[in-house]
Amino acid sequence: MRSNSYTLIFTSLITIFFGFLLSVAATSLKPRQDINIEIDMKKNILGALGIEPKNSGKWSIDEVQKVYKENIVGIVLDKDGYETDKDPKNIDADKDMNFFPIYIHKTNDNINGYVIPISGKGLWSTLYGYFAIEPDCETAKGITFYKHGETPGLGGEVEKKWFQDNFKGKKFIDGNNTLVGIQVVKGSVDKSSKEAYRQVDGISGATITSKGLEVFLKEDLAKYQAYFNLNKEAIG
Amino acid sequence: MALLSKKSKEAFKDPLMASNPISLQVLGICSALAVTVQVQTAVVMTLAVIAVLAASNTTISLLRNKIPGKVRIIIQLSVIATLVIVIDQILKAYMYDMSRQLSVFIALIITNCIVMGRAEAFAMQNNPKDSFLDGVGNGLGYGGILISVAVFREFLGNGSVYGVQIVPETLYSYGYENMGLMVLAPGAFVILGLIVWLHRIFAGIEAE
Repeated sequence: MRSNSYTLIFTSLITIFFGFLLSVAATSLKPRQDINIEIDMKKNILGALGIEPKNSGKWSIDEVQKVYKENIVGIVLDKDGYETDKDPKNIDADKDMNFFPIYIHKTNDNINGYVIPISGKGLWSTLYGYFAIEPDCETAKGITFYKHGETPGLGGEVEKKWFQDNFKGKKFIDGNNTLVGIQVVKGSVDKSSKEAYRQVDGISGATITSKGLEVFLKEDLAKYQAYFNLNKEAIG
Repeated sequence: MALLSKKSKEAFKDPLMASNPISLQVLGICSALAVTVQVQTAVVMTLAVIAVLAASNTTISLLRNKIPGKVRIIIQLSVIATLVIVIDQILKAYMYDMSRQLSVFIALIITNCIVMGRAEAFAMQNNPKDSFLDGVGNGLGYGGILISVAVFREFLGNGSVYGVQIVPETLYSYGYENMGLMVLAPGAFVILGLIVWLHRIFAGIEAE
């Protein structure tokens, strides 16, 4: 049996040593991890807009940076829809309730679309993604999810292409310029229904994920209506 | 003198078949269920566990005569936790997509019974070389089962293996469907149960 003081000294030394090792590892890898997170975000924004990498179907870090820089402008809106001088990077969605980041897809001053971050509860988890909108400010251009904990094969289908392609061309604004959101129906959309313009095919076995998505998508879109209305007035 | 003594060889070979940590000792089951939907995640998980096991066994074996008996579990735990966090950080920096898919399961290697079990049962009594081999062997034994389960689950559940489509499109057009059960945790239970059963039959192990 060793003495108490030996035990104390030994454990202290071990703790200090491993603590030091961990902080070295964490600080030296931090810059690379931050780049990964940034690249991932940019990839998702581009993905929502339907922008694909040029060669081989895979993004390289440089290509993402270049394409993003050439095409996307990120701004932050206040709750009345006016642009502020804030940087989207510094907006924390959980704290800054009155500021909304939006990413504008521009080529030579022509607006090709908008991307907004979306998030909300599904069945098991909070889903995070991006929703792309056509320049008319009322038609969906695409949707992506980059983080969720839904059941693979059921709610997890939200990350599949067939489900996401579903949204393209659907409108979330009705004829009276009211926000109606996009409805996720059970089974397939009845093409003859007059609601079909705002409906997408649901995922069988994932009713709660689908309903959750429907609700939070509408809530998130509502935050940007002021801005979209200003835009529409400007276009005339 | 042979490169490896008989004892070293046993330390490496036993866990592969005769005392496989998953199928015979039934340790490390939770991650075997969770990360075996795809072969690729199973492979990365295997590599991470081998790295942690080998490094933790070696470190603890080096310290084994210095570690005070009454705090040995805590010391083992801090060695293991440190290694796991370092590996988690490295994955986040260099294999970001993979680290997202493996999510909490890398961090949960800390509580993987195999790692702690080998530290306490083997590394505390043996020299660093044998402990290292024991760690690699157990990691491979764990990984072998993990990857076998993943091959079945990905093939039956997705029609692919290691991301390569195996079931041809034409078969789907004739009405073949992927087995949804396989991508859920119960699918892993069924496959793992069958593997454990088969392994025990071939290893000639009767009821305990």
